[in-house]
Amino acid sequence: MPSAVLEVRNLTKRFGGLTAVTGLDFEVGEGEILGVIGPNGAGKSTTFNVIAGTFGADQGEVRFAGVPILGLAQHRIAALGVMRTFQHNRPFSGMPVLDNVMVGAHTRFRKGLWSVLLNRSLNEESERRRKAQELVEFVGLGGLAEADVATLSFGQGRLLEIARALAGEPRLLLLDEPAAGLTPDELARLAEIIRGIAARGIAVLLIEHDMHFLLPLAHRVVVLNFGAKIADGLPAEIRADPAVADAYLGSHASAR
Amino acid sequence: MSGALRWLGALVLLAGASFFMSDYHNDVYRKLMLWVTLALGYNFLFGICGQVAFSHFAFYGIGAYSVVILLFQLHVPLPIAIVLGVAVCILVALAVAIPSTRLEGFYLALATLALGQLFIVVLNEGGAVTGGNGGIANYRLPDIFGVRIRGPWYTAVIATLLVGTFALLWRLDHSWFGRACRAIRDNAEAAAAMGVNVARVKVIVFTLTSALAGITGMVYAFVDNTVNPPIFGIDNAFLLLFMVIVGGAGRHAGAIIGAVLLFLLPFFLSPLVGHHHVLVFGLLVVGAILAAPKGLIGLYDAFRRS
Repeated sequence: MPSAVLEVRNLTKRFGGLTAVTGLDFEVGEGEILGVIGPNGAGKSTTFNVIAGTFGADQGEVRFAGVPILGLAQHRIAALGVMRTFQHNRPFSGMPVLDNVMVGAHTRFRKGLWSVLLNRSLNEESERRRKAQELVEFVGLGGLAEADVATLSFGQGRLLEIARALAGEPRLLLLDEPAAGLTPDELARLAEIIRGIAARGIAVLLIEHDMHFLLPLAHRVVVLNFGAKIADGLPAEIRADPAVADAYLGSHASAR
Repeated sequence: MSGALRWLGALVLLAGASFFMSDYHNDVYRKLMLWVTLALGYNFLFGICGQVAFSHFAFYGIGAYSVVILLFQLHVPLPIAIVLGVAVCILVALAVAIPSTRLEGFYLALATLALGQLFIVVLNEGGAVTGGNGGIANYRLPDIFGVRIRGPWYTAVIATLLVGTFALLWRLDHSWFGRACRAIRDNAEAAAAMGVNVARVKVIVFTLTSALAGITGMVYAFVDNTVNPPIFGIDNAFLLLFMVIVGGAGRHAGAIIGAVLLFLLPFFLSPLVGHHHVLVFGLLVVGAILAAPKGLIGLYDAFRRS
């Protein structure tokens, strides 16, 4: 794959005696939505957290735009252009919606505390505020820019997570079970937003539990079970794969 | 540029007022402004960046003692004494901040509490250098270019320090840096995921606000022209905390209101309840935490909105 934004090679992560991820290989290209699914405990979240820099790994390699990022601190990985959302919303509760999004743009500011003390940082601030406002509108929270984050619904909080991550101008967006806890209407809206993000050329790694949400949305799907990859292909191939039906959907789904 | 003019206007007002005051009121006014300066710095550390530290007042003392020892024990010229005094505060701040911010918040609280106590022990046991229990007294501010700064002119120096500190912290707060501080306070893990170098920002804020407290202490050293251990006791570290909480943590206006209120309150309470005003403070703090967690400034906001 010539333009892989993210390459994961032979990734293994153990927690004590438990091997959470074993010899995992996959890549995500520019503008591609890669879905990673699997039953609970399959190693989805572990994989996600290793890529985002929350955990180290025992073996293997993670490259972002050709640069090895395994072992880098979280803030370093974000600065390179890998932004994430949290499965359980983690807003900055002391700030309004727009300022939450502005924190996402943290790595895009010209750094140096001295520039803050000079007037020239003011233009940059208002320019970033304008871009943040666009992102708030892009995810559909336009009227809530100045709202206290405590007043947002759960679904709106999820959209805020996405806008905040986009403010970091990522080349790779990591979404950790974004569909969890959303209403059907919100799911449809979320799918549209994720398509819009990929259309901007951003690589999207989507860890998801909900097959019905993921399969119509993803360009390609990787299936994990017990920490290992058991399938990798187009959503239609995944649907037809008997190994996937066995491992993930179980007898309940194959009976349908 | 209108921003700079506003700061200048505030400075002229604050400094100008002292020329119309009696000596006694000038003295109260100076100390009020010093407390407001300290509260603004402590609010940035505790209220905005969320670092629970109890060393702010100790740095005030470190600054005061440093400049006095450098000037009158080591006979260093004033400009060099100021630079070295700031350097001492920065070094001590780094020595505390770097190891303790790598640990969780609780350890910063412990380490800074220990520093505050250790500082008092060092002052008492410092022999001829610190003057022991009695401290150092009977000195005065050296002349600057042959001019002796005193009376309302020295109050103007304090007003400049207050306005300068406020302007600096205001500017930092209204930038990516201030947002990063608030993000760390609200959710450090999410802040890191957004690219904030959490440990670095914490160390910068701790060191900067500690150095500001040290500079405030240097200026204080020539208000009473005496430094001694009881002035810098740990109870004042808690008074600072109370000021910020009662006024409204995380808000500059809250820090100012809290400092003015708790500084002036004893003047009105002492005739009524003697030294038991501390009890009133305690009730105020508990009341603020239970009934108005956003402090007096939060109450004012709610009142204006309704």
